[in-house]
Amino acid sequence: MARLANLETEYPVLDSTVRNFCASHGIFSAAFAEQNDSSERLKEGIAQVLSIIDDMHQPWLNGMELLEDAKRNKHVFPTGIQGIDLLLGDGIRVGQLTELVGPSSSGKTQVCLRTASNVARNHMVLYLDTGNSFSPQCIAYFLGKTISPSSAQAKNQFLQKVMSNISCHSVFDIFAMFDVLHQLESYLRCQDGRGCCQMRLLIVDSISSLISPVLGSSSTLGRALMTSAGYLLKKLAHQHNLAVLVSFARVSSVLVWLN
Amino acid sequence: MGSHAKAWLVEDESAREMLDRVLTERPFLLLPPLHRVPLRVGNVVELAGPSSSSKTHILIQAAITCILPKLWKGVSYGGLGHSAMFIDLDCRFDVLRFSELLNHRIMEAANGSSSKVGCHQKDSEAQFARMKPYNEELFALCMKRFLYIRCYDSSEFLATLKTLHYRLQKEREVHGVNVHLLLIDSIGAFHWVDRGSSSFPLEYDNRKSWHLQNVSEAAVQEIRRLLLVHPMLVMATKAVVLGNKYSTNELTWNYRKWSAVDNPYSRNITSDQQLPYREYMPAAWQSFVTHRILVRATDDDLVNGEHQNNSIYLLEWLLPPLNSLDKFTVRDTGVFILS
Repeated sequence: MARLANLETEYPVLDSTVRNFCASHGIFSAAFAEQNDSSERLKEGIAQVLSIIDDMHQPWLNGMELLEDAKRNKHVFPTGIQGIDLLLGDGIRVGQLTELVGPSSSGKTQVCLRTASNVARNHMVLYLDTGNSFSPQCIAYFLGKTISPSSAQAKNQFLQKVMSNISCHSVFDIFAMFDVLHQLESYLRCQDGRGCCQMRLLIVDSISSLISPVLGSSSTLGRALMTSAGYLLKKLAHQHNLAVLVSFARVSSVLVWLN
Repeated sequence: MGSHAKAWLVEDESAREMLDRVLTERPFLLLPPLHRVPLRVGNVVELAGPSSSSKTHILIQAAITCILPKLWKGVSYGGLGHSAMFIDLDCRFDVLRFSELLNHRIMEAANGSSSKVGCHQKDSEAQFARMKPYNEELFALCMKRFLYIRCYDSSEFLATLKTLHYRLQKEREVHGVNVHLLLIDSIGAFHWVDRGSSSFPLEYDNRKSWHLQNVSEAAVQEIRRLLLVHPMLVMATKAVVLGNKYSTNELTWNYRKWSAVDNPYSRNITSDQQLPYREYMPAAWQSFVTHRILVRATDDDLVNGEHQNNSIYLLEWLLPPLNSLDKFTVRDTGVFILS
């Protein structure tokens, strides 16, 4: 929260009289100011301070607005695997973070690749690969199975189009992941609403290999990083209408991170 | 001056009148499954439990009871007709599920009243079709009374609390409804992030550093101030890890060790309120809470006819400590008490 003096350049109503008033009430930063029946100028200043604080949090929505947003934006993408779609209720949902947990070699990467191939037909997909397990051959195979037999050239064109919708990045530590996600956030902020082919799926395979190195038994910083990563993913999912799929290899001593 | 002084001595109302007034304006709430202890505005209820133990569901149930009207177009819904505010710190709220539950409650109440009249199958279907536009109107009315906000970190949470007073005033002026319920989903959501950020000092010395304790104290102070001006019932969930044997045993072992050395009679003091989980919220929040409940899921399932298996949950009152365990299960129409 900025100091009031620093905000004066942006908001000229916060001049020295307002700041003296606030200082007399012990307010040095943009904090809650007591409403006082004094001059208009002070009232303006306080209203300005309040609107600055109002910008610091998400907007309030009522139930109808939430419902409309959910119906309009938060679609469901089938993963292409019947059993999983049945369990999830038709597939993974935009706006939510879906976690696949299982011991190693239980098919998590396969599910991720299958989902990516399914969604990439119509939307863009970002695949964050932490263990060099991304396989374009697998994706081509899944796509090849589902399209109707036609000329080799048409098939090729289709494959090219779908494969170009998937962008794969390798990340090997949690800070690199934060970097990529922040870049993604700024990219999506410019991109939202424009263009027909939008990003709708983010896959992190597997996030446990990024988290377990920073988690020690008594370190708070590791858990703080883990929690912040979770919140960043949820924010991307909700505000930019992405479905997020993360896979997590079960490691015995790690707490369930999404509480 | 003399008349002014005398005016101080004249009574405003008798005790009976005051009780009548308070009980109508601020009624006791009995929300299942929290029906054992009546709750009033000004109470702060903490629902603790491991993950997936229906805590958020209990909050949603309370919100639905709050936003439904008491009586509407001749049908009694048994609600309070006030607004409810939901501060989502976990960011996991599912609005589609919420609207489903609300719809089920509306239909249950509507069907309940029609079946009382004693009409048979055809009539009740026709009545249902007739009621549909009314139900949709009521649904929209109720959903507009549910206010929701998400916070992705502590500074957003504090900013929300600080501007809540003005938001509530605006709501009262524009819609003429009071907010009766403040729901916070997962009060301990930013615990680790705040603990981690205490190692980063801010530039100026005269500002408070961003400590876990400071954030918690600021939040509690804001809510307290808010409750003075807008009396509400506050309900918060808290995710805990049950049976964290390592830490609870270590604490009790250490305590017993040196209490035995100091004073052989102090052993009575140790085990009065042994919580089955490790308390991690700072003291500011702990002393703010007036009621504490522990919920957890059991391994039993209730076979509910067709294919549905609903899990059974156990609820225990820790503050005030009642020696009873309530069993309940969650259905489409809400919480259903089993015992």
